[in-house]
Amino acid sequence: MKGKKSFISYGRVFILFAFLSLAACATTRSDTYVDPNMDFGIIKTVAVMPLGNLTRDNLVSERVRDVLIHSLLATGAIYVLPPGEVAKAVVRAEIQNPAAPSSAEVVKFGEITKVQAVITGVVREYGEVRSGATFAPVVSIGLQMIETETGKTVWTASSTRGGVTVWHRLFGGGGEPMNVITEKAVNDLINKLFK
Amino acid sequence: MALHGREWPRPFLIGMLVLFLPMIALAKEENFGVSEKGKSPLRVAIYPVENLSSSHAPLNDIRRILKEQLSGRGVEVLGEAALETFMARHRIRYAGGIDQATAMALRNELRVDALLLTTLELYDEVRPPKIALFARLITTDPSPSIVWAEGIGLSGDDAPGLLGLGLIEDPGALMKKALNFLIGSLTRALSAHTATERRERSSRARFAPTIAYKAPFVEADRTYKIAILPFLNRSNRKYAGEILALHFMRAFQRFDLFETVEPGMVRHQLLGLRVILEEGLSLAHADALFAALDADLLVHGRVMAYEDVQGGGGNPRVDFSTLLIERKSRKTVWASTSHNAGDDGVLLFDWGRLKCAHALASQMVQSIGEKIGGKGTSAKAIKIVRGLSKDSL
Repeated sequence: MKGKKSFISYGRVFILFAFLSLAACATTRSDTYVDPNMDFGIIKTVAVMPLGNLTRDNLVSERVRDVLIHSLLATGAIYVLPPGEVAKAVVRAEIQNPAAPSSAEVVKFGEITKVQAVITGVVREYGEVRSGATFAPVVSIGLQMIETETGKTVWTASSTRGGVTVWHRLFGGGGEPMNVITEKAVNDLINKLFK
Repeated sequence: MALHGREWPRPFLIGMLVLFLPMIALAKEENFGVSEKGKSPLRVAIYPVENLSSSHAPLNDIRRILKEQLSGRGVEVLGEAALETFMARHRIRYAGGIDQATAMALRNELRVDALLLTTLELYDEVRPPKIALFARLITTDPSPSIVWAEGIGLSGDDAPGLLGLGLIEDPGALMKKALNFLIGSLTRALSAHTATERRERSSRARFAPTIAYKAPFVEADRTYKIAILPFLNRSNRKYAGEILALHFMRAFQRFDLFETVEPGMVRHQLLGLRVILEEGLSLAHADALFAALDADLLVHGRVMAYEDVQGGGGNPRVDFSTLLIERKSRKTVWASTSHNAGDDGVLLFDWGRLKCAHALASQMVQSIGEKIGGKGTSAKAIKIVRGLSKDSL
């Protein structure tokens, strides 16, 4: 009887050890890149370029860009150039695709506008997703920050918010409004930038 | 005091005095167009109604009612023939604003003291009917200034009351209600005898911008001349950019901090300087406009949604972003994102539900104004209009 009991307790220790060993094999999956040599303290003014749009709604990138500009300003840490001034500088710098400028174009843009960094990005998903009879809004945004002095990418991050959850499957409902989800995704990205 | 040998009690006399004094004041207020010393009445021209509703609407009826109501209150309204001749002679096609040259011409050629401009934002006859209007009074000074601005958005089912007895199903009745409100507001503002401050109701917290940035730019004891540019329209609603600019004009007019530039002058300068706002306002364009309008601040933005619903179901939706650029620093001093629906914050029985986009946008814009300029009063308008007599003009 006593031998059986000690066998069970050894078994428990073994299972625990096995789980701990498996956890040690896990890798941390991060969607954020930060240049370790970059001093982000020098960035006082940035320009947010028109975002790329991979969705079917043409206005999505403008909407997300507006939220991003205002959220960055609202932090009080960074000044963002007005969108009209960015549009003018894009023309002057002869940038072919403002959503994905080349390093040389970013350097030229920086010389014209005197900004320390440029933020570019893409809206990957914006709208409702369906799973069976359930639907909910979802937003997926990817951003990167490029230093204007060197034209080097110093930070990238992405965020996805919304989507169909267990709660939606069980209790239904259409999720939060699109604007709220967008603000959450943008706030998440800003948190990653300032982390 | 004695009557038939009997003295009236003092409390009774004081009570009568308290009761009748406001009535006397009101009686004087009604005749605001005529000054006390028997000077000639205020001479006002009423421009044709600007139609931003994108629908057929009884524009002539609106203008006729305004004319009748103002004439009935002692204001001398410029005759139709004289105005038509003037507009033809000066080739005026735009009735949504006035520039400096036209204002001067109105004053010199037709002896007009002020111009009443009316804009129809929404006219919907589908049950329940809906109407939204803006109106403003502009002096014909060498530098025309807005002395009064008001707006109203009504739906026939705003206050249905018990058993739906309060429903308004006749579009004409709703239109008259809206016009009565505007004329009442104008009367109060113009009355030289009502010096009491009328504090505007604060906007509700639920209409505040969701994201806002404000730089500390306000200097003490200073008034800022503010020009409001038409917003970029990315919504499905035609003229939403112009409509939102009118909301800002009306809201900012109430704040002591701001002196609002007449939108007609802004339009004139935008055309003159050939400024096309496709992506937003560049600093070079901002500099040119600051100089041309002698403004301290420029308001600009983007409308993403300005939606009214037909009939009784559904909720209006308004979504826009705002930028305020300051002349001295050449920087953005205010940036905000606002989005609301008519039923935001409504928990029970549709209490507090807003049924037209005008009412919703009006609250949202007022909230922005309060965050930038503090609490608004209408005392400023009254003070300015006091100088609007024949002598001063």
